[in-house]
Amino acid sequence: MLQCIFLISDSGEVILEKQLTGHKVDRSICGWFWEQSISQGDSLPPVITSPTHYLFKVVREGITFLACTQAEMPPLMAIEFLSRVADVLTDYLDALNEDLIKDNFVIVYELLDEMIDNGFPLTTEPNILKDMIAPPNIVSKVLSAVTGTSSNVSNILPGATGSSVPWRTTDLKHSSNEVYVDLVEEMDATISREGRLVKCETYGEVQVNSYLSGVPDLTLSFANPSVLSDVRFHPCVRFRPWESHQILSFVPPDGLFKLMSYRVKMLKNVPVYVKPQLSSDNGVCRINVMVGIRNDPGKTMDSISVHFQLPSCVASAEMNSNHGTVNILANKTCSWSIGRIPKDKAPSMTGTLVLDTGMERLHVFPTFQVGFKIMGIALSGLQIDKLETKNLPSNPYKGFRALTRAGVFEVRS
Amino acid sequence: MAPPSQSYKSPSPSQPSGKGEVSDLKLQLRQLAGSRAPGTDDSKRDLFKKVISYMTVGIDVSSLFSEMVMCSATSDIVLKKMCYLYVGNYAKGNPDLALLTINFLQKDCRDEDPMIRGLALRSLCSLRVANLVEYLVGPLGSGLKDSSGYVRMVAAVGALKLYHISAATCVDADFPSMLKSLMLHDSDSQVVANCLSALQEIWSLEASSSEEASKEREALLSKPVIYYLLNRFKDFNEWAQCLVLDLVSKYVPSDSSDIFDIMNLLEDRLQHANGAVVLATVKVFLHMTLSMTDVHQQVYERIKAPLLTLVSSGSQEQSYAVLSHLHLLVMRAPMLFSSDYKHFYCQYNEPSHVKKLKLDMLTAVANENNTYEIVTELCEYVANVDVAIARESVRAVGKIALQQYDVNAIVDRLLQFLEMEKGYVTAEALVLVKDLLRKYPQWSQDCIAVVGNISSRNVQEPKAKAALIWMLGEYCQDMNDAPYVLENLIENWDDEHSAEVRLHLLTAVLKCFLKRPPETQKALGAALAAGLSDSHQDVHDRALLYYRLLQYNVSVADRVVNPPKQAVSVFTDTQNSEIKDRIFDEFNSLSVVYQKPSYMFTDKEHRGPFEFSEETGGLSVGVESVENIAQIVDANDKDLLLGTSEEEESRGTSSDGSAYSAPAYDSASISLTSSHAQSEPVISNPSLPTYSAQTSLAIDDLLGLSLSSSTTSVPPPPPLKLNAKAVIDPGTFQRKWGQLPIALTQECSISPQGAAALNSPQVLLQHMQGQSIHCIASGGKAPNFKFFFFAQNAEASASFFLVECIINTSSSKAQIKVKADDQSTADAFWNLFQLALTRFGSP
Repeated sequence: MLQCIFLISDSGEVILEKQLTGHKVDRSICGWFWEQSISQGDSLPPVITSPTHYLFKVVREGITFLACTQAEMPPLMAIEFLSRVADVLTDYLDALNEDLIKDNFVIVYELLDEMIDNGFPLTTEPNILKDMIAPPNIVSKVLSAVTGTSSNVSNILPGATGSSVPWRTTDLKHSSNEVYVDLVEEMDATISREGRLVKCETYGEVQVNSYLSGVPDLTLSFANPSVLSDVRFHPCVRFRPWESHQILSFVPPDGLFKLMSYRVKMLKNVPVYVKPQLSSDNGVCRINVMVGIRNDPGKTMDSISVHFQLPSCVASAEMNSNHGTVNILANKTCSWSIGRIPKDKAPSMTGTLVLDTGMERLHVFPTFQVGFKIMGIALSGLQIDKLETKNLPSNPYKGFRALTRAGVFEVRS
Repeated sequence: MAPPSQSYKSPSPSQPSGKGEVSDLKLQLRQLAGSRAPGTDDSKRDLFKKVISYMTVGIDVSSLFSEMVMCSATSDIVLKKMCYLYVGNYAKGNPDLALLTINFLQKDCRDEDPMIRGLALRSLCSLRVANLVEYLVGPLGSGLKDSSGYVRMVAAVGALKLYHISAATCVDADFPSMLKSLMLHDSDSQVVANCLSALQEIWSLEASSSEEASKEREALLSKPVIYYLLNRFKDFNEWAQCLVLDLVSKYVPSDSSDIFDIMNLLEDRLQHANGAVVLATVKVFLHMTLSMTDVHQQVYERIKAPLLTLVSSGSQEQSYAVLSHLHLLVMRAPMLFSSDYKHFYCQYNEPSHVKKLKLDMLTAVANENNTYEIVTELCEYVANVDVAIARESVRAVGKIALQQYDVNAIVDRLLQFLEMEKGYVTAEALVLVKDLLRKYPQWSQDCIAVVGNISSRNVQEPKAKAALIWMLGEYCQDMNDAPYVLENLIENWDDEHSAEVRLHLLTAVLKCFLKRPPETQKALGAALAAGLSDSHQDVHDRALLYYRLLQYNVSVADRVVNPPKQAVSVFTDTQNSEIKDRIFDEFNSLSVVYQKPSYMFTDKEHRGPFEFSEETGGLSVGVESVENIAQIVDANDKDLLLGTSEEEESRGTSSDGSAYSAPAYDSASISLTSSHAQSEPVISNPSLPTYSAQTSLAIDDLLGLSLSSSTTSVPPPPPLKLNAKAVIDPGTFQRKWGQLPIALTQECSISPQGAAALNSPQVLLQHMQGQSIHCIASGGKAPNFKFFFFAQNAEASASFFLVECIINTSSSKAQIKVKADDQSTADAFWNLFQLALTRFGSP
């Protein structure tokens, strides 16, 4: 039972206001919220209480989606809904920023109108929404310029609302039938100062990009589904085949969507090592960080980077590296971008930190955040076995890819 | 006609100055209103866009209302939508003009295009103007029977909107039963869902007045309805599924096969991509199996993985909401999560509210097997940049130590914290070492050796200082320089702002004196002298108590102050299990995020899922609560005072009865207590029996006190006595309350037993009446009560004391304002009042 939704820009200006019930929420609440947001910064929880309302906030690309209510309700529902609003807007506008929203605010209002009524979410399925409200894409802009009719509202009601596959419009036609399946994994790891793997887990998604005509029925199977610790599915996935044979059977939505997300825990190996060494005396701290490949994954590792926050007691810092570039930013973060690891040498970064006067030794040790990207492999070991298609006039083109990135990959010192 | 709007094509208007531009728009709209030239719609669209964008940035464009309505005759759906949006926003403020829109909206409700029918109906119902409801009934009735599911879905919500504008109209038009039949028979699942949500709301609101409605509300929870909804479950979209799941969680299954059927059907929802669906399903599972212990445990095992996945997969905001729920489950059944402790490890750049939840959970799941690793991890956070988290981490280590797993290693770690040279870490660690020693006295040797090395100068925080002083007093025999450290601290008595520290200082120095008299004698004298002249009530009282104890008998003092102590076995949990159960019942709600049951942060009218309040300042969580409630109570003051005269009369008879039986006793006890409260000058009061004067002189001598000379000059005020049968009529009270200045504003605690006993205002009234303090008005519900008391000086009948007392039973705190006819006796009265209040609840 949300009462009102506000969109607030990154300077605290109200971009848009959508009242949902008869109990109008005064927009002065945004002022209150913004004060809190400035004084507490990142530590402001997503669910807070103002003197008059409970507020839920979701921040995407600098835009704050703020929802207000006075009644008890499931907080996750509000947050999920706001996230969907953000997703749908991003989808419609191709990006999300203040100017785009302002330029298209009529569409945003129209969308909100169909997504929520009287404070209760109706539908957030992009396919259904697109049937009702056409996105402001180039085609429709050109069309309107040529024909002079610029209505972006289709005059037919979506046929799918009552159908058994609400995520898919029934009569789709593509000249080329293609379907792409991507495994995208993020590796989260924490490594202690002794180099011990404190925790390591991989979160992955199966992303499908489908351009298929009619109502195709797909079956995706894995070579080793047993590595998965836990899975979550898009509503199109049928539960029983997974339950009995770990097979994903589904009628796909059109375009890009997240078919499944999964978690793989208890991984024993990470593809990269980062060894920081710190020693300090007489108010100076010497720092040395070495980076290299460990347990070679067999594919090229790319975009390797190391970031860390200089402790607040550091007065000045000087950092150098034998490979890549080192930058110290104004907010006292040091970032070292390495790129690929060269064949002939092990990259290392060295430097000295001068501590505030009166400090002998460093008490707060920085945590190093590591970034990398490996194309062509899912580090969890998950492998796609095959993708079968039914209900299609011709055999479609199928493409498979895999990618692993560093998620929250931390090395302590 | 040339479209005039073309010169106005600024894409996103900067804040316009207002008036001039609005009247410009007005002119242009007028010109367009009657035009039928081609291209008019485009110009209109530009103008409408501008109007809406002004509205969006917060400029009042309500003055354009009639022009907008005039321009609304169009077939362009985007124009219509913008117009609906505008009308919906301003109709409530312009009820007369809103009538203008009815006509075209009604016409649109009969349009061929279902989309327009739906939109028009939605806008019609969103006007929310009470005197237009008669125009709603017709379109709503036909909307509910429309051939298009879209229109029926809008109409279902529309019926609910109508109910909120005018409940009687909605019920008279028989909409609830139409909704019911739609809910049970419609082919469109979204229509079913909207009918369900509307009916839930209407019937819960009607239930209080109509028996039929409450039966209908219960019928929603009957097996046929639940099974019907569950059988269609897969047709519903994710949000409607949340709604149905919420309903199912309230359903009481008839037998265990019923439970298993439902759980089997819903099991795959745990894998849903929408976290709200997962959490709603979890709630169903948990609540259905509450009575079946084994299955309940299995449910925990089953829901664990989906919840952990949700935490790691979603955005930061989603994670936090799920984590709060996980936190609740972990606290209920920590052992089930003990092998998953690594999920609760904090990451470097997580926001601190997430880290705090995780620290709590880490502390809870610690057991024999994982303590070492958890404590190692926690120690990492102590070096964290975030000071608040570093502190929490030290506390977490301490809590685990108190749970007595692997204490050995932990004590070493805590002692290392003491040597970390970081002020806040030392401070937290000191407090913990103190608690540890209270539980494990056997560790005193190791701890004292380290604590002895800490210079009291480096400890600034009151809690830590108090802990250090406690240890100095308790273990003064093991610490060579304890008396001298204490002496140093006493020298700086005046700079010590915390009463807690001063209290501990008094106790510690006395303990030390009793064990090592020659070294501490001087310090004790200085401490008692400083304590007796302390402005803080408790410090003063304690100094006086010690002084008298010593005066009476030193060995008795030793027995009182230094008794053999028993190790504390369990520190009480801060949140009682009843509250935890309440929160668990409210799983998947805000209560979980706030870690409070909803009655603690919502007013009664907000507790139901559907009622909103127009007033501001109605909500309260945590710190704000006291203030807010005070505001609310203040706002209600007038009613309270005026409304209680009847009550007063009815209570008058009973108070007469009690006064008849025990007036003498009452006043005697009052005079006793009052002389106690006034006791400072009594020490050297020349009228006291001589033996006391002599001993007091002797001990004064010993301790080097010079109280006698300093205080005899002040004549003691006569003890205050209250009239047990004081009477004041509400009118006089109100007048006096308005006239008199506030003599005192105080805060004090009431005993936990008292807080527990205070379930209705009457209990306290009787208690206070026993102390000759009468109540003239009272009100409130747990946990917040407000009282107005009065009392009369027995010696001066014109001298009344008026008290406003706000008690929060959940925090056991009372805020008191005293007004008095005779300001000079206000302090004496406050002492009496406080004594009476603090005694409340004690046997």
